[in-house]
Amino acid sequence: MGKYILKRCGYIVVVFLILSFLMYSLYNLIPTDPARQELEPQRKGLKADEYQMLYQQLRKEMGLDDPLVVRYLRWMGLWQDTDGTFNGVLEGNFGYSNLYKRNVVEVIQAPMGNTIFINIFSTIASLSITIPLGIYCAVHKGKRFDSATQVVTMLGYSIPVYIIALIFMYIFCVLWRVFPIMGQKTAGMEYANSWEEFVDMLYHIALPVIVMTFGSLGGMTRYVRSSMIDALSMDYIRTARAKGLKEKVVIYSHAWRNALLPVITSILGWFLGIFGGSVIIENTFSLNGMGKLYWQGLNNMDFELVLAIQMFYSIVSLVGSLLIDISYGLVDPRVRVDK
Amino acid sequence: MKKILAMLLTMVMVFTMVSAIAEDEHVLIYGTSTEISGDFAPGAWWTNNAADAMIRELSNDCATVVMNKEGEYIVNPTVAESVEGVMNEDGTKTYTIKIKDGLVYSNGDPITIQDFVWPTAFGCSAVASEVGAKLTAYLTIEGGQAYYDGTASVISGLRILDDKTMSLQIVADKVPYFYDITYASVSAYSMKYWLGEAVTIKDDGEGVYFEGLTKDAIAATLEASRFNASESRVSTGPYKLVEFDQASKQATLVINENYNGNYEGQKPSVPKIVITRAEDATWFDAMKTGAFNFYDTITDGEQVNQAMDLIEDEDNKKALGYGFNYAQFDRPGYGKIMFQCDFGPTQFEAVRHAVALLLDRNEFANTFCQGWGGVVNGPYGSAMWMAQAAEEWLDENLNNYAYNPEAAVAELVADGWVYDENGNDYVEGIRYKKVTAEEAGNYVHTKKLDDGTYLMGLEIEWSSSEGNSVSDLLSVMLANGEQTAAAGMKINQNVMTFSELLNYMYRDATQGDKYGVPTYCMYNLASNWSTPVYDRSYDYTVDPALLAEGYNTNFIINPELDKLTMDMVYGVEAGDSDTYLEIWKQFIQLWNELLPEVPLYSNIYVSVYPDWLENYEQTSYWSFQNAIVYANIAK
Repeated sequence: MGKYILKRCGYIVVVFLILSFLMYSLYNLIPTDPARQELEPQRKGLKADEYQMLYQQLRKEMGLDDPLVVRYLRWMGLWQDTDGTFNGVLEGNFGYSNLYKRNVVEVIQAPMGNTIFINIFSTIASLSITIPLGIYCAVHKGKRFDSATQVVTMLGYSIPVYIIALIFMYIFCVLWRVFPIMGQKTAGMEYANSWEEFVDMLYHIALPVIVMTFGSLGGMTRYVRSSMIDALSMDYIRTARAKGLKEKVVIYSHAWRNALLPVITSILGWFLGIFGGSVIIENTFSLNGMGKLYWQGLNNMDFELVLAIQMFYSIVSLVGSLLIDISYGLVDPRVRVDK
Repeated sequence: MKKILAMLLTMVMVFTMVSAIAEDEHVLIYGTSTEISGDFAPGAWWTNNAADAMIRELSNDCATVVMNKEGEYIVNPTVAESVEGVMNEDGTKTYTIKIKDGLVYSNGDPITIQDFVWPTAFGCSAVASEVGAKLTAYLTIEGGQAYYDGTASVISGLRILDDKTMSLQIVADKVPYFYDITYASVSAYSMKYWLGEAVTIKDDGEGVYFEGLTKDAIAATLEASRFNASESRVSTGPYKLVEFDQASKQATLVINENYNGNYEGQKPSVPKIVITRAEDATWFDAMKTGAFNFYDTITDGEQVNQAMDLIEDEDNKKALGYGFNYAQFDRPGYGKIMFQCDFGPTQFEAVRHAVALLLDRNEFANTFCQGWGGVVNGPYGSAMWMAQAAEEWLDENLNNYAYNPEAAVAELVADGWVYDENGNDYVEGIRYKKVTAEEAGNYVHTKKLDDGTYLMGLEIEWSSSEGNSVSDLLSVMLANGEQTAAAGMKINQNVMTFSELLNYMYRDATQGDKYGVPTYCMYNLASNWSTPVYDRSYDYTVDPALLAEGYNTNFIINPELDKLTMDMVYGVEAGDSDTYLEIWKQFIQLWNELLPEVPLYSNIYVSVYPDWLENYEQTSYWSFQNAIVYANIAK
């Protein structure tokens, strides 16, 4: 097992390097001039020759005139920076946000915290609804409840999340005024203690979590249902029932454990997804999360920020796929991951 | 099930109670469509987004020269005892500034002359660049460049003359300048707070210099001060920035009890301002439900009409406990079609005129602004003092290019657009004109006939940015308009990202060879003057070197236009508004004839505020941060 994990880690490094070069090259192919973008607000206050001098100076400082490979190696920390030091990803410098004028790591901290906080609630809520619902539907396949659930989940699966968000906003925020329409805290509120602040935050993220949960019900419910239907049709289930085992034991000990293998891929995927924000939800509800930050980075051509976020997601995905493979071995003894 | 329902209901009740607490107070909750970055440096030293700038101005106001309500730059009598400017024999200009006694910071500490001097001196120091600050004072202050380069140990043009007096000498090539009083605008920032106690600033009689100023010595303090939003922040403005919640991007400001007052000695009375993020898609519902109660500068006509509905909504007023009022003001700028005038059909004045005549600009402005806007006939906004001072003259002397397809055709015919693609007399389709090889250039819609004649088609390549509602309307009303086709003109819309559009407009070959080639002769953009400074110098330069560097994006080669724009600011003494206005009129008239751009619309902006706020008067240049100081809460 240890050898297998080491080998996979080696692959991860190689894939990461290839991916990072591809991503870096792609962003650098976009026809934009960061030096011009940086100086544009000052342009009117400068004389033409002053502007040109500063522009050329900035291009030099940013290393924009160097070949792509040199810039990539510099970003990775494998080539000397313009100030003569090695200061890249490998040295722990994940870049500098041109938009926020801060190190990317500092920029990401607060949105990452928010995204994880919101997604944990949403993931737990979704799983605690979809798994029992999927099992119940599979066990009562073809019954009225199952049919109704199929319709509702198909509806939830088909409607884009921004439509769901807008409908829920209208009903819960504008019509009934039960939940706040945006943000993460009540503006102007003075909290007596941190518990009150926490409750206010929960109040604000309640609707986004409900929308995210509603939007994800369809997929997982149907997935669990179909997996359980497959498992329930197996011979060992018939044998278990023939042995006179209780239906609950048959369903949860025999069928569910066997149905778990395909489901676990999705579940782990979801948990890994807690790091990734939702561009639509966060923008609609004005939440400061990773999705929104990523969107802003792209809109403002803040490529070091965007690259850092994407590289982080790449690592999460690569490590995640390793964890999923390992978990197969843990869940199903028939699977030998080191072979 | 009942238990769960009861629990949920209890939770909702608790949440609602919690949210109700905030609604009892009169807190001004300002929704901003620009996200606060959290960088609260003294000026646009690092970042410069609108929300940051507003917070910066609310929390810092101790400048020697400021803008008044009328949009004029004046000496701030609250801060400066005197500001005197003297032209020197070597062409430089020296401003001597004496500050008033008794000025204090938000924490009660006295403001010293050093606090006024250090930001300018810092801008002359290479250390500023090392810490990433975009400061260019060294280009303006005599001796600044030498200090920046390290060839001088003092800034000879910056002096501390005594405990209350300083002077700054402006380099010769920047004066005379119509707005040169702005050079004498220095603001006080606590040096102790921003640079730490290890740094001092001195003047031994030859000029100002720093002691102990190194990147290592100040980097940590500067970084902490930039992002600090708490009671420990030392500032001078009407409000103190006491909190910035990075997670929710919400800033809270409270009255600065030690504020010295604005230029009229006015101090604020609205106790608390919270600045929060507003989304374009949900701002209306957010205001309706009380998530924020102030929305500044609504530009879109449809949104303005929504705001009017909100103001008239009595039911919502009852539900919220307050209603809304609004302030309206003209946009200091305009949306436009911009031509590049050195190639293709738009190099010919008649074609530019014809485009203007083929577009019903009044209808366009009305549709786009939904009644909240109008049309201007030159490169100005109706909010500018020049436009107001010369209103009658503008009406009488400018061509308004009223919609007239027949006149457009007549202009084209007179200019020689009378051929078809084979060089025969024009009957229908796209018009052609016989041009010289130089005029033909490499424009895609030119052809060379067998007899060596060059024909240019009246086919205009238009670059428009994606997701742009102005482009959509232009496409319908102009490019695909029947009148355009009937006039023998074709306009091809090419949708691209804004950065790509800029590359083509600047002809920036560093981004790719294709951008260096003149390709699109028409763009749709907008111009805004967020301050009253109307300085068009270099915008119409004829210097080939500057043209190559992206100045004069219209590529219109007219020495008179260039001269007027340079003279307007560099040929007029500060304060000589009459001469300035005279040159401005000449410039506007020539521009109106040459028509390097077709102004499309100039909006009326609207800000919505709660009806418990009184005496709130916002104008184009007198923005929220200025106007709120005069506002009060209704009793």
